[in-house]
Amino acid sequence: MKIIAIYNIKGGVGKTATAVNLSYLASLDGANTLLWDLDPQGAASYYCRIKPKIKGGGKKLVEGKIDIDEVVKGTDYENLDLLPADFSYRNMDMFLQSTKQPLNRLNKLLGPLAEEYDYVFLDCPPSISAASESVFTAADILLVPTIPTTLSLRTYKQIMHFLKQQNTGHAKVLPFFVMVDGRKKMHRLIVQHPPSFMPTLLKSYIPYASEVERMGTHRAPVAIFAPGSKAAGRYQSLWNELRPQLW
Amino acid sequence: MLHNQHSFVIPENQGVIELVSSLRKNFSVRLLAETVNKRVFYDTFDWRLYKNGSVLEQHNEGSSRKIYWREGRQGKLKIQLGLSKVPYLASELPAGEFRQQLHSVISVRELTPRVRLKIKRQSLAVVDNNEKIVVRLYIDKYLYQPSKTRAARALGNRLTIVPVKGYADDYSRVEASILEMKLPPAQDNMMKLALVAKGVSAGEYSSKLNILLDPDMPAEQALKKILLRLLEIMKQNTAGSITGRDIEFMHHYRVSIRKTRSALKQVKGVLPQDISEKYNNFFSMLGKLTNPVRDLDVFLVQLENYQQDLGSAAQQALQPLCEHLMQSRAEAQKKFVEELKSAEYRENIKQWCNYLGSSEKSDTPAENADRAVYKLADELIWEIYQQALEQGNAITADSKAKELHELRKTFKKLRYLIEFFRSLYPTTMVREFTQALTGLQDNLGELNDLDVHAAIVRGFIKQCTDEKAVKACKKIIKSLKNQLHKTRSEFAACYADFASADNHNRFREMFIDYHASR
Ligand SMILES: Nc1ncnc2c1ncn2[C@@H]1O[C@H](COP(=O)(O)OP(=O)(O)OP(=O)(O)O)[C@@H](O)[C@H]1O
Ligand SMILES: [Mg+2]
Repeated sequence: MKIIAIYNIKGGVGKTATAVNLSYLASLDGANTLLWDLDPQGAASYYCRIKPKIKGGGKKLVEGKIDIDEVVKGTDYENLDLLPADFSYRNMDMFLQSTKQPLNRLNKLLGPLAEEYDYVFLDCPPSISAASESVFTAADILLVPTIPTTLSLRTYKQIMHFLKQQNTGHAKVLPFFVMVDGRKKMHRLIVQHPPSFMPTLLKSYIPYASEVERMGTHRAPVAIFAPGSKAAGRYQSLWNELRPQLW
Repeated sequence: MLHNQHSFVIPENQGVIELVSSLRKNFSVRLLAETVNKRVFYDTFDWRLYKNGSVLEQHNEGSSRKIYWREGRQGKLKIQLGLSKVPYLASELPAGEFRQQLHSVISVRELTPRVRLKIKRQSLAVVDNNEKIVVRLYIDKYLYQPSKTRAARALGNRLTIVPVKGYADDYSRVEASILEMKLPPAQDNMMKLALVAKGVSAGEYSSKLNILLDPDMPAEQALKKILLRLLEIMKQNTAGSITGRDIEFMHHYRVSIRKTRSALKQVKGVLPQDISEKYNNFFSMLGKLTNPVRDLDVFLVQLENYQQDLGSAAQQALQPLCEHLMQSRAEAQKKFVEELKSAEYRENIKQWCNYLGSSEKSDTPAENADRAVYKLADELIWEIYQQALEQGNAITADSKAKELHELRKTFKKLRYLIEFFRSLYPTTMVREFTQALTGLQDNLGELNDLDVHAAIVRGFIKQCTDEKAVKACKKIIKSLKNQLHKTRSEFAACYADFASADNHNRFREMFIDYHASR
């Protein structure tokens, strides 16, 4: 089982869109895939048409008092399951702090699922907190969607700096560009000449595309309602590039 | 997921459209795609999975391929293999519980596709008020298509309800409403139905001789019947021997050759001399070609056990030995296959088959040709039995390996004769006799294997320049010697068991008195 966290401190950069599309593409390969919606907003759950609610509550889940398997929901796609969000996740840091080893918590919760799933995608909320540290510890890959602007690059630097300081986990950090708008000069420049502090930058990037926005109305991955579209193709390329890194 | 899905037979007179509309009364049902899927059922040549009561099937659905191994009758899921391709052999799988389980059923035998089905699937979904799928339904039409150009035969329709994780309540409601329709439950007998359509009956193959003889049959006729059955087994195992992946094919092929030779030589004066000689030579040549292949096969299987006590460094060092042996095997196999593919071979086999199948008597019948087979059988078996005892009694703790080797051969001859003629004796007598033989034959067989294996390793050492490998090989030889010593020390007891007074009286009754009292 490989754990892929989609993370950025910044909000609204396309984390959830990435998580939903990639996990769907992974499941299309025939891999048993779980998407865990860690964001109290429940956007990933919404895209899957599943109520953002954990029976018994998020606290019990985090404390290990609920069997994860009991609250997982099958999505409309054969090999893709979702662990829904719960509004109480806004207190995630508190939940974690009340456990013995907050850093190791997510890892531990996911342990029993190793038999069942080939991939677990974590859709993370935008913040830096105890919860994100627990994510860093659990993840094999930290996928960082980054908008090609100077400000966003600074944020990426901050994330790297933080990870270095913490020195937790073993995650490979893989940034990639999102919402790339070819009309903007700065976007073009950065994508063509990525900064040297991004040696692991993935080649694939996701352009700014209206299909991605339309995921909200269709409540489905792009490949379902716009299979031939450019955005669908780009998510596929991203997954193709990422897949071998997971072996 | 598959393990708790529920399948029903849709009877022929039940329309699919009515079925859907009756579901729509209670649920919001969406028609999804119509797809064509394939299913391939696998088994070994000798139907080991079938006999074990399980089914190994590959589902091709769109681009996805899944492999399931399930309990036959209820179709209960044993394992969903995380594989996209059925392995030929259990040994190709990664080490682990599944490999072990599969190996315990199919051993070293090869899995091959036995029958293929086409399945036309209409997928349906029950959705909730968010249009979210909460239960899946499949209406599957099963078809057997003999070939591309021939029409498919319908094998029946099935309805399957598949739960979606986390929506157990919805599943229960849909299931209840389908149960109300009183559809019969589907047992997982699609493989059987398909095999029937294909005209194959599963479990049919046997490498046992099962030759039914009439005691008063002339010996010539009986011997031809025995030889014909042996030829049949050879033919059944020829294609698999040529492929060479599943070592049991060659093994059965080779055993049949040995039995053929034994029949030609032991059952004397029955076939015309020139025929006996000609085919004895032919099969002797074939047998010699199989020897190195089989010896290496057995050795390579055993090598794993031999290595176990060695530690990982020595195991590593044995890599050159493995490679050398594989190479030797491949060369030996190649020679053997060349022969099997030759025109000469085919011609010989054809003539042999024609000869055995003809009821024509020769102008100058051999001396025993017309004798009642039971008399000849009694005589031959008793004679070999006496010979075996004579040789066996002469064995002491100091006897040479060669003497034991000869003894092993004599016991083999005895065993084969019993197999040829077993239908002439009461089943219980035969069973007792073979049981008495088994322990001793195992002991002699093991001695022989250990000898052969030591010789293989020594042969390798002679031409090996890798010091580490030589050192590891010497360890193996040492452990082979220890084992040989141990097995040798057990011989006396095994032999004494066999040569007991009790057994002797039993055998007398069987081969001297039984037919006399007829
Ligand atoms: N490549 C894109 N092109 C156009 N719009 C996009 C793209 N990616 C995401 N969006 C839109 O941007 C918004 C934010 O995307 P998304 O929810 O995936 O980001 P996020 O990082 O998960 O946000 P949050 O931090 O709030 O969880 C959504 O409305 C989404 O439809
Ligand atoms: Mg989000």
